[in-house]
Amino acid sequence: MLRVFSKPERHSLYLRQTFNEIENLGVKSVGIVAVISLFMGGIMTLQVAYNMTNPLLPTTLIGLGNRDSLILEFSSTIMGLIMAGKIGSNITSEIGSMKVTEQIDSLEIMGVNSAGYLILPKIIAVVLMFPLLYILSVFFGIIGGMIVGPAVGAVTLPDYLNGIQFSFNPYYVTFSLIKCLVFGFLIASISAFFGYTVEGGAFDVGTASTRAVVNTNIMILVWDLILTQLLL
Amino acid sequence: MIEIRNIYKSFDQKEVIRNISKVFNQGQTNLIIGRSGSGKTVLLKSIVGLYEVDNGQILYDNRDFTSMSPKLRKHLRQEMGMVFQGGALFDSLTVEQNIRFPLDMFSLLSPVEKQKQVDFCLERVNISDANKLYPSEISGGMQKRVAIARSIVMNPKYLFCDEPNSGLDPETSMVIDELIHSITVDLQITTIINTHDMNSVMEIGDNILFISEGEMCWEGNRKEVLYADNHKLQEFVFANKQYQKIRDEKMEGK
Repeated sequence: MLRVFSKPERHSLYLRQTFNEIENLGVKSVGIVAVISLFMGGIMTLQVAYNMTNPLLPTTLIGLGNRDSLILEFSSTIMGLIMAGKIGSNITSEIGSMKVTEQIDSLEIMGVNSAGYLILPKIIAVVLMFPLLYILSVFFGIIGGMIVGPAVGAVTLPDYLNGIQFSFNPYYVTFSLIKCLVFGFLIASISAFFGYTVEGGAFDVGTASTRAVVNTNIMILVWDLILTQLLL
Repeated sequence: MIEIRNIYKSFDQKEVIRNISKVFNQGQTNLIIGRSGSGKTVLLKSIVGLYEVDNGQILYDNRDFTSMSPKLRKHLRQEMGMVFQGGALFDSLTVEQNIRFPLDMFSLLSPVEKQKQVDFCLERVNISDANKLYPSEISGGMQKRVAIARSIVMNPKYLFCDEPNSGLDPETSMVIDELIHSITVDLQITTIINTHDMNSVMEIGDNILFISEGEMCWEGNRKEVLYADNHKLQEFVFANKQYQKIRDEKMEGK
């Protein structure tokens, strides 16, 4: 870990690498985040509607329930688990392949701090991009609910819109953004660790990817519990 | 010049390299030869510092590499170039970007001067027309040439090649051997090559170290290798009957 955060040999190259990673790991995840969030928001809206059997409860609560579920848990934790699969396995397999094909040795022979050059830009990119993906996820989730709820007759559009504006607590967003920073760091660092320490061949890279995703998922859930207890 | 003194290296209690000492000369192609699994790659990776030796000294022009601080080692590594068995080119970069990478990382040259140096290296290894291609788009022989170009772009004092001919046909192997040899002589660098290819031994073996089961068994040059009175070396060399025939013919001629 010390080597990852040691002084870069050439700042401009590290910066260029960081922008590449922002594109590869962050920007290229926007599509999947949008699709998953649209469905997630739609399904959440239906679930809340079907569970509201008491006629005395106003239907505006459907929008509120969807919004708070997305803000507090779904767009941060569930998206974190999904990103651990997408981004995490990408990081492990990329670094792992470089390890088994001696590309990392090659960097070391040149005098490059391979851990810093390969891992630091990924950590910065994921930590920076994950909160943005979270905001996008909340947005698309709410849109998903707005499309599905009125379409199936579970809630009217005005009620849904009232619901998503009702009793909004901005701290929920702050809390989830803090979670996203932590999850982003966990996803990038754990995946990079498993990739960087892989030994063997293609089979071992595959095994390392699986182990990285499983371990990252567990750590995300553990830290979700800790942060919820500490911050909420 | 690189000198190794009494090198020992083990993994999990198993000794892989035992008490090897040798001087590798400047301006010569120094070969480490031996069967697969004899410890050649471990020895080479120990010399360049990818593995830490358990015991012994490694001297680069009398500078003790084994006792150097990480900072000094990093500095010394900028004087090294290495060609790995599989080429170890960066998949995400083009041929030209691969060769330029060490310059971008360490050199203070202007972009024009860097390009000039890259073009010189591309020309030196005869792959000027492949500069915009990615490693996956070129043949194994070309990948080796790119790896050689990348290893010499910083004008190294020391060049290391781990099985540079593996996976190549005999003709391409010969081209690669000649290329490494001519670069060594022209640039007056100290080159160490790991190989088990007897054609390479006979073509470019200026200074040869033969190891077997992690121990030094014989040293000499390509003129002596066929006539050495060493049982293990003879087994290795004459595994290819062609060389036994050559030796017999030469001895009869004498």
